[in-house]
Formats: sequence, C-alpha cells, structure tokens
Amino acid sequence: MALTLTCPVCGKRNGYEFRYGGEDKGPRPAEEGLTPRAWCDYVHMNTCTVGIQKEWWCHRDGCGAWFTTFRDTTKNLEVKPPEAENGQA
Amino acid sequence: MFGKRKPLWGTKKRLKSSYDAVIIGGGLHGLAAAYYLAKEHGLTDVAILEKRYIGFGGAGRNTAIVRANQRTQENVPLYKEALDLWPVLTKELNFNLMFNNCGNLNLMHSEAAMKAARMTIATAQFHGVESHLIDAKEAKALVPALNISEDITFPIHGAMYHPPGGIVRHDAVVWGLAKGCAKHGVHIHQQTEATGILSAGGRITGVDTARGRIQTPRVLVSAGGYSAGIMYHMLGIKLPISVLTIQAMVTQPLKPILDHVVSSGAYHCYANQTLKGEIATGAHMDPWPNYTTQNTAHYIKHQAEALSDWLPCLRGVKFMRIWGGLADMTPDMAPVMDGNDPIDGLYMDCGWGYFGFKSCSAVGKYMAEYMATGNCPEMLKPFHLRRYENHRLMGETAALVNYTPDN
Ligand SMILES: Cc1cc2nc3c(=O)[nH]c(=O)nc-3n(C[C@H](O)[C@H](O)[C@H](O)COP(=O)(O)OP(=O)(O)OC[C@H]3O[C@@H](n4cnc5c(N)ncnc54)[C@H](O)[C@@H]3O)c2cc1C
Ligand SMILES: [Zn+2]
Repeated sequence: MALTLTCPVCGKRNGYEFRYGGEDKGPRPAEEGLTPRAWCDYVHMNTCTVGIQKEWWCHRDGCGAWFTTFRDTTKNLEVKPPEAENGQA
Repeated sequence: MFGKRKPLWGTKKRLKSSYDAVIIGGGLHGLAAAYYLAKEHGLTDVAILEKRYIGFGGAGRNTAIVRANQRTQENVPLYKEALDLWPVLTKELNFNLMFNNCGNLNLMHSEAAMKAARMTIATAQFHGVESHLIDAKEAKALVPALNISEDITFPIHGAMYHPPGGIVRHDAVVWGLAKGCAKHGVHIHQQTEATGILSAGGRITGVDTARGRIQTPRVLVSAGGYSAGIMYHMLGIKLPISVLTIQAMVTQPLKPILDHVVSSGAYHCYANQTLKGEIATGAHMDPWPNYTTQNTAHYIKHQAEALSDWLPCLRGVKFMRIWGGLADMTPDMAPVMDGNDPIDGLYMDCGWGYFGFKSCSAVGKYMAEYMATGNCPEMLKPFHLRRYENHRLMGETAALVNYTPDN
C-alpha cells in the first residue's frame, strides 16, 4: 500500500517524490508580542493524531509546490478533506 | 498468549479500583519503572496497564542494540549507567538476558564524519566510556567481511569503535522485568487500555480504562510511540514528537561471519549477526509520520542495496522475516522525561525514537525515584519538556541539514 499524493500542479504522484512539511498549524504567529512558548508551539509541538490530519507537503522532486492535504496516519493514505474543511483553500 | 496457562510472571490479578501508582504501557520503560518503584522504593501498590500484551510495542520489535557512545554530556552518563546495568539485572532478575557485548562499530564515510566522531569519542572518554577512532584497515581487521574498497557508493574512511556495547535479548528483558515486577507485588493488566487521565485542582486523580475507573495520585505515561497521542488527546498537552514507522528484518541463518554490531549513517543501515546466525538489520524511518507499522518494498530494496555494497558477501542471501514498529522522534534526538508540570502527579517518559531499548534499565531506575520522591533526580533534569521553549535543544545529532519529522 504505497502512498500517493495529489500535487495541485502535477496531480497524483508517488509519495516518495514529496517531502513531508509537518502538521498544519495555521498561520505563522505574528512577530509582535510573540512569546517563546507560542513560537515553540508553532515550530516544534505536534498533536500526533492517530487518524486523519491536515498537513504540509512539498513536491520536492517535481514542481516544488508547497500545499496542504489530508492523510490518514493509521493507513498512510491521502483522503478527501473532512466536511468541515470543504470550500476552504 | 491469553490462554488458560498461567503467564510466566505469575497469576492474573484482579483490577483494583485504586493504586498508589498507575503506569500506562507495558513496554520496556513501564516495566522497568514499576520494577524499581516496587523494589527500591517500597511502592508496591502499582498497576501496569497494557492495551495489548506486554512487549507488543517497540519492546518486542527492536533490534536489541545497546551502547553508551551518545554524543552529549547530558546523555552519555545515562546510557553508560544503562549499559552497566545489564549484567547486574541479569543476576538480580535471575533471568538470562543474553547480553552479548560484542562491541559496536560505527562506520564513517567522509573526513567530516571522522571529525565529528573525534568529538563524540572525546566526550565518551571524558565520561569513562570506552570508545576509539580506528581507520579503515583496522575496521577491516575487526570485521573481515567489510568492503573497504574505494569503489563503493560511500567509501569507508574509518569507524568509531565502542567495545563495551552489543546486543541484549529484548524479549528476555520484557519477561525478566515482568517476573521481577510480579515478585514485588506489581499488578500487570494486559488487554487493559487506558482511555483517559483524570485530574482535579492541578493534581492527578485517576485513570479511566476500558475495564473501569482507577483512583491514583500518580500516573506515568510510558506508552512508547503512542505516548504523544495520549498526552494530546487525553490532556491537551502537545509534545515535540513525530511518530514514524521504522522497519527491520533478518536474513536466513548463516555461519558466523559478523561478530560486531556494525552501523552506517551514510548508508542508513546497520547489521549484526544473532546467536542463531541470522543477520538482523535495520535502517532509517519512513520519511513521513504514520502509525501503520507496515513494511514497504521501498525499504526492502534499500536494505538489499546498502548491504550488498558494504557487506558484499551477503549478496544473494534471502531475507526471512521483516517487521515494523513505531519510533517517536524529537527534534534533538533526545527523550522527554518530566514530571509534576503542568499537573502534579503526572509523569512522562517518551520521545525515545530508536534509543528506548538501550536506555530502559537506567531510566526505569531514575523515573521510579522521580515518582516515589516527587523530586527530579539530577540525571534526568536536562531532559525536561520546557527545554524546547527555552531553545535549549540537546545536540545529539552532529548536524541538522533539514528539519524533518525524523529530524
Ligand atoms: C524496528 C525497531 C528497531 C529498534 N531498534 C532499537 C535498538 O536497536 N536499540 C534501542 O535502544 N532501541 C531500539 N528501538 C526503540 C525501542 O524499541 C523503543 O524506544 C522502546 O521500545 C520504547 O519503550 P517504551 O517502553 O517506551 O515503549 P514500548 O516498548 O513501545 O511499549 C509501549 C506499550 O504501551 C502500550 N500502550 C499504548 N497505548 C496504550 C494505552 N492507551 N493504554 C495502555 N497501554 C498502551 C503498547 O501496547 C505498548 O505495549 C527500536 C524500535 C523499533 C520499532
Ligand atoms: Zn508538483
């Protein structure tokens, strides 16, 4: 069961062409008033979800695009966005 | 496994409604902590909760390598004590842990790597851990099967030679510790999943399990690759961890050809020969987080290619078994051991990646002291969780080229 991912530019490709870029943690926190704790949270901390999570990928050996997608970490398969996420970019 | 026969370590115990301490995870770290709690600190009213069976996690899947030549001054003494404990535990538990201290050879494939090794060796020697730098010819003399030709993908420049390390029988450690736990009154509850951790007023009050609620003032989260998910989903505490599948395999049994543990960072490959004659070998982790513990063709091919290069006598030898387990990786390749922050009575021992076997003896001892006294032992102080927000990451890797989930 090999991983394939859907690049927004190149379409569905072999997972080994991509570089994992971490759990999606929302926008980068603003510099103003940024505490070491909040920064650490953004940079290092993970939820380690057992199931479907939104995450960043880079098409490293392809077009180079960065994008987010959803993957089930118990099956290592890309999945459709959950209902609540539909319509969001 | 759950049949009528009595388990090796004693009779099955009734799950009580309260314990002085509850340990989540019947792996190496949970068993070792419980053993020392009961034996050294007289805290015998202890329950180990294990979702499946003891040894189900990394405890029963690792490649059993032990060594003490870590890189930083905070880590080396802990691993040294762990290494020194194997012969002691073998006697104490009255269980043959099959410690084969055949020595470890860590191959270096560039002058930069040789330089980095000099630094690591100096640290080891400073802490009384035997470790030497040897050149390619000396490595070949120790391991005649080694290919030191310049004509391979990553030619061998030399090696870090660590004679006191080697292999310990991982299943024996699980069984021996379980026996030791039971002898001192610890209850081991298999097929008992922890489903929630309860607290009130900033203090731990209990644990919910699939078989009912337990009152307790102390909880240790030592669930290996599952710890980070437990910490977040039960308590909302995030950890700097990525959980990745790591794979290993053994070949058909061969006549004795390899009497050291040999590893190579550049090839992402390590190998040793078991007492049965199989070549046990492992590699790097999957490049993305997952809980599958599945094997991949990608990796089998990688392993065959790497071994054919630096141990060419293995060309054509068949792999017999392959399996996977979880590695919980931190950004600085060092674990998180902490307690009473942010909840009194909550202890964590996780982020061991692929170092959780070699460390479990000493860590069990110190985590037990931490839990019994409430005070963090000096040895564990550097490993607290807040080091990440204080930007005090440990330098267990020589260089971070990319910050990736396997760091
Ligand atoms: C292929 C492979 C090779 C490795 N090689 C080495 C090596 O050579 N040297 C080395 O030092 N380390 C090695 N490791 C790492 C080592 O195996 C782990 O770091 C170690 O097992 C961690 O011990 P632990 O007790 O924390 O967790 P584990 O041994 O994983 O035990 C955790 C236990 O918790 C249980 N659990 C999970 N969730 C719950 C819950 N909710 N309730 C109750 N129980 C739960 C699991 O079923 C499991 O039995 C390797 C690992 C793998 C997978
Ligand atoms: Zn692309």
